[in-house]
Amino acid sequence: YPLFQRGGPQLRIFRPNFFMLAVRPGVPQPEDTVQFRVSMEMTKLDVRNYLERIYNVPVAAVRTRIQYGANNKRNHRNQRVKKPDYKVAYVQLGQGQTFQFPNLFPEKEQDTETRSFDDFRDKYMEKEKQKQEGDPRRGGVPDWFGL
Amino acid sequence: MAALGARRLLQPGRRWFSETVPGTPSPPISPLYPPVVASVTAKSKAAKLRRLQRFKQRVHAAATVEEKLRLYGKLQRPKYMVYPQTFALNADRWYRSFTKTVFLPGMPPRAAAAKPPVAAAGTTPEAGRAPGPGAEALGAAGAPEAVKTPGAAAGAVPYLGMGELRSLACDALLQESFYQNKKRPFLYRDQDHTPGPFLTQLVSTLAAFLSGRNPLLAASSLDLNPEVNYYWHHGEEVVVHGHRKGRVDPVRFQIDDNPHLQIRVPKQLPEVVPLESDLGDVPVIDHKPSKLPLFKKQYENKVFIGSKVADPCCYGHTQFHLLPDKLKRERFIRERLEDQIEVVYRSNGIASLFAWTAAQAMYQGFWSEADVTRPFVSQAVVTDGKYFAFFCYQLNTLALTAETIKNNPRKNICWGTDSKPLYDVVEDGNVKGFNDEVLLQLVRFLLNRPKEL
Repeated sequence: YPLFQRGGPQLRIFRPNFFMLAVRPGVPQPEDTVQFRVSMEMTKLDVRNYLERIYNVPVAAVRTRIQYGANNKRNHRNQRVKKPDYKVAYVQLGQGQTFQFPNLFPEKEQDTETRSFDDFRDKYMEKEKQKQEGDPRRGGVPDWFGL
Repeated sequence: MAALGARRLLQPGRRWFSETVPGTPSPPISPLYPPVVASVTAKSKAAKLRRLQRFKQRVHAAATVEEKLRLYGKLQRPKYMVYPQTFALNADRWYRSFTKTVFLPGMPPRAAAAKPPVAAAGTTPEAGRAPGPGAEALGAAGAPEAVKTPGAAAGAVPYLGMGELRSLACDALLQESFYQNKKRPFLYRDQDHTPGPFLTQLVSTLAAFLSGRNPLLAASSLDLNPEVNYYWHHGEEVVVHGHRKGRVDPVRFQIDDNPHLQIRVPKQLPEVVPLESDLGDVPVIDHKPSKLPLFKKQYENKVFIGSKVADPCCYGHTQFHLLPDKLKRERFIRERLEDQIEVVYRSNGIASLFAWTAAQAMYQGFWSEADVTRPFVSQAVVTDGKYFAFFCYQLNTLALTAETIKNNPRKNICWGTDSKPLYDVVEDGNVKGFNDEVLLQLVRFLLNRPKEL
């Protein structure tokens, strides 16, 4: 950003090229905290203004950190492949609001047809496995072994 | 024949081959083998428990308090630094869960006998001195105080005149903000410029004025900018990184506080409520303290009340805290965080007072394994120069570690008020809108003393 000096014009960005991605936190966060992956060039003020002006979300506090992407993987030419770095912003919402990251892959309700088909398939696989195994009284010893 | 004889000898209860007579107790023999206990150096849970037990015995058996404190804080590990004056949101809720404190708004009801009556128009002195509920005295004192000292009404104790106290306070305020010619304060040094010296002046003059009335104040020790530190364990966590990864460790906290003023006394303040009283709930927070945000560092585990152990003034009376520029009211209002203003006062009061009372208790030899047998009471005033908030803390328990907190029903209690302005503006040598209740509450705090005195 251009350096600001006293008396100079206020920097205004009208159509920012930043993107913010709300992510599910890896470790449990307090109820009023939302975790975002933001562009590396964004600052805390940018995050706050972005959410307040564009999405009308009341922001009480913002904390950021930069996550270093590891450089340990190797490709087929034994060159190191870097995972990209990204900035994580923890935003605490104001006015007592809370946020819980939604469950994006809920368990689907199975109707009776699929359920009975699943049961039938499980039973068939069990029978097949039993046929493969030998006599349980032999304790896992193969049937060609013996006197 | 021999068989008959043998059968006669083999009567039940008789051992024919030995000489002892059954029924008599055998004489006590010293054990032939040493007691079977777990090893001290093995890599096992029993050995770890035995080492912990030996450490606790060492601390219990320490000869002096300094030795106890030295052993208590000997092992250094990364710990959370708890700052009483913090900008973190909803910090007072987190601090209450760390210190097992119940917060009650308002001041505790106190017996009127401890306070000398303050002059009020028309009310009899006896009403103020009767040992009835505190509401009576509060009502008597809250009545319009525009009257100066009335003449010698009945009662041996001379009255306090609100006018005198008000003039003392206004003098200090005007001297600092109007009469004295000061340059503009440096950037972010507003609090050291005017409110700091005003607070020092006000408290020292009030303490000197009231020491004739309160013999405890006459024997007290008033310190400027002392240090108060406390180190404690609360809860458990699993170590995440490093060579100790995977082990279960206690969560360590350290408070390092620098109050603006401290009054320490040789006798302890009386308890406000009995030791085992349960007056509310302690918030339980499942998240790690680092989400507050709170940060870890490893340094000396210090426990200090403001003076060393040998000081005769080892009990606390009142502390005065000045809020820094970073936590000004205008800043919170500009960022639309009005509800956090009170949180700042509360978190400062709770954290500082917990550290002070707990350090006082440690100076008397109590610690988390040897819990306090009497409650420790202290008071604090948190201010930013204009707005005053009053806090009173009673420490009932020091046992906050994971094992000792399990069967411990006691909770620490903190009473606190909202912040109220002492005055509105200072204009042209006049203080406008002076608030007498705030001054009265301050005077009440300074006059608090044990019942014997």
